[in-house]
Amino acid sequence: MMEKEKLRKTDLFSGSLIFLFGLWVVYQAMQMPMKDSWGGVQNVWFVSPALFPLFVGAMISLLGALLVRTALKTVGCKAIPNVLRWMASPELIHFLKTPALIRFYAIVALFFSFVFINIARVDFFLGSILFLAVFITQFYFDDERLLKKLLAFYLAGTLVMTVSHVNPVATAMEAVFAYAADWLTLLFIFAYSLFAWRLIRTDARMRRKYRIGMLIALVAPLLIGLVFKYLLLVPLPKEGLVVSVLDAIRYWDF
Amino acid sequence: MMLLDRIGDFFRIALHQVSDPLDVAVLFGSVLLGILFGAMPGLTSTLGIALLTALTYGMETERAMICLLAIYVGGTYGGSYSSILINIPGTAAAAATALDGYPLACRGEGGRAIGLTTTASAIGTIISMLFVVSISPIISHFALQFTSFEFFLLAFFGILISGTLTSPDLVIKGWIAGFLGLFLACVGRDLLQFYPRFTFGYSELDSGIEVVPVLIGAFGIPQIIQVLKDRFRMGEAQKVKRILPELGTVIRNIPTIIRSALIGVGVGAVPGIGEDIAGWVSYGAAKNTSKHPETFGKGELQGVLASETANNACVGGAQIPLLNLGIPGSPPAAMLLGALMLHGVTPGPMITFEHPSFIMEMAAILLLSSIAMWIVGMLLAKQVVKVLRIPSQIFMPVIGVLCIIGSYALGLNIFNLYLMLPVGLICYFLTVMGYPIAPLVIGVILGPMADENLRRALMVSQGSFLPVFQRPVSLILFCIIVWTIVSQFQCYRGFKNRMLALILNRKGSCEASPDENPKE
Repeated sequence: MMEKEKLRKTDLFSGSLIFLFGLWVVYQAMQMPMKDSWGGVQNVWFVSPALFPLFVGAMISLLGALLVRTALKTVGCKAIPNVLRWMASPELIHFLKTPALIRFYAIVALFFSFVFINIARVDFFLGSILFLAVFITQFYFDDERLLKKLLAFYLAGTLVMTVSHVNPVATAMEAVFAYAADWLTLLFIFAYSLFAWRLIRTDARMRRKYRIGMLIALVAPLLIGLVFKYLLLVPLPKEGLVVSVLDAIRYWDF
Repeated sequence: MMLLDRIGDFFRIALHQVSDPLDVAVLFGSVLLGILFGAMPGLTSTLGIALLTALTYGMETERAMICLLAIYVGGTYGGSYSSILINIPGTAAAAATALDGYPLACRGEGGRAIGLTTTASAIGTIISMLFVVSISPIISHFALQFTSFEFFLLAFFGILISGTLTSPDLVIKGWIAGFLGLFLACVGRDLLQFYPRFTFGYSELDSGIEVVPVLIGAFGIPQIIQVLKDRFRMGEAQKVKRILPELGTVIRNIPTIIRSALIGVGVGAVPGIGEDIAGWVSYGAAKNTSKHPETFGKGELQGVLASETANNACVGGAQIPLLNLGIPGSPPAAMLLGALMLHGVTPGPMITFEHPSFIMEMAAILLLSSIAMWIVGMLLAKQVVKVLRIPSQIFMPVIGVLCIIGSYALGLNIFNLYLMLPVGLICYFLTVMGYPIAPLVIGVILGPMADENLRRALMVSQGSFLPVFQRPVSLILFCIIVWTIVSQFQCYRGFKNRMLALILNRKGSCEASPDENPKE
């Protein structure tokens, strides 16, 4: 949590957003049937589906306004032009480039790429290995310079993967060449591993971290995936190359 | 006779549970896992239950509850390890423990402190279990008289009080979080007329927002981001020597343990307030009642015992509103409620009719979990301490994968992930800006109950709010809600202070007047 003065300044921002959000909820609720008929049923206000959202939206708006008022009482009206001036100054860019925020971007980018790009398209095991290999190495190396390089490499690779997922040629390839997306992911994992290795190969401490990170990145998805797939009988989000190999082993289906 | 019957039933259920080797294995395994979750800073018992809910989906309800309650008990206790040994609370519940636990460890008494807190935590859990068994039938009977108005007000009170007491900054922020949770609960087709609300044409949202992915996102993702973004580092763990506690010390501290357990049960029974508040309240009470309050913060054993007994007693306390009213007493209990619903058990006044032995089963699991926790704590404490050496940069990404597969596995629905991640990110921003997450989660869970009961109550009264003032329970709840809201405003405090000053002045002048004007 931030210090009090900063908190009050952010309260101005968050309170206003919450106030507007509450108004939006109220507006949406007003579109719901209040007294007119819905599904052949004549409504009365107290059974209307709008009643509860109206109450919730009004309360959100009211509390948002109260928060803004409290913040203004603490920091004064002069805080608004100050904040706006800061937002227009180069300080904002400087703030957005702080190491803590870069770590934040890295975490968010990793999660979003895994959930929104890979999980539905790439074999769960491979997707998880890629996610963990990148996640662990980026943070376990504990070096801002390395993190930036590894993140840039990962984002570039993810861009290529995304293009390949949505490219009609790649879609056609998938029909001819089984598990094309999985092979591409495997290639990406190797390329990333090599790139990370090249960056840290001269440092013995980093080499040790690299080995541990890669081992965990390999073992953890296998354990988690095996438990869910074969013990709990939960179908994985996408079953591709690795699952077919594991199925073949499990059912001795060579 | 009835009491003896109940005691007999209780032990029969407990014996039945330990007669199955698989249940025993699940019990001990889950307690150990819970302790590991609690011990590792950044992981909490709530997250532990959230992740394990996915794994227990295919189990029988009783075994699933053994697993989840054992994790809850173990996780609440496990936080003391890192508090005592590295001065970093493994969970918020163990924050007060660090104040005296770490100085004790620095004096070479870390093992002794762990041994005593293990015993005190087990006693605290057992006392809370006694309350679950004894109070539940009374509350359940009482709750059967509740009508829709009472349930609506109770849900509303739960959200308000949770927002009031868990907010780290302004109380308004706690309330906003609660109402945001209520908004999330509005999404989907409404329960009375099946009108789609805030679904934006997505059929996946028709059945509403799935609770468990929201909970996993709300508790898991912000935790991962915070730990890794802020480069959280663990300190060097202090040495652990003898763990087995001295019986004499335990007996000497029995009053502290019992008082703390009662505080824990009381705080736990209040909807939406967690073990952390129980720990702090109990620590404060121990300090205030001590003959040597100056020793607190410098390695006072009573401080450690007070905080640890209370936070574990809170586990049982939180079960009381959960099982009898369907209102979770703490964030992990909210998670437990989600798991119960997945298993087709709807807690509330009807639970004694629908599942007559369920409350007894839960109490028996609490007893067995506390015994298992004590055994595991005594035997494996030195090994558990080793997990404190695992860097967070390694285990947090693995937790990330578990959050993802856990959210997906419950409904086999990728849309749950598309929901979990944005919710997690929003909750992270809310946390940074000083908004508590517990009221949001309680709001998501209690929202449908509040919505349905409000409209049902108004249907019965034909749109009149008068029954609120005609029924004693609803009137009391209404007054408490109004007081909870009004008491937070400056004008109320000013008015209260003026009134107090007026009363004291009048009293003072009455007492002073005979001396000043003896003739009059």
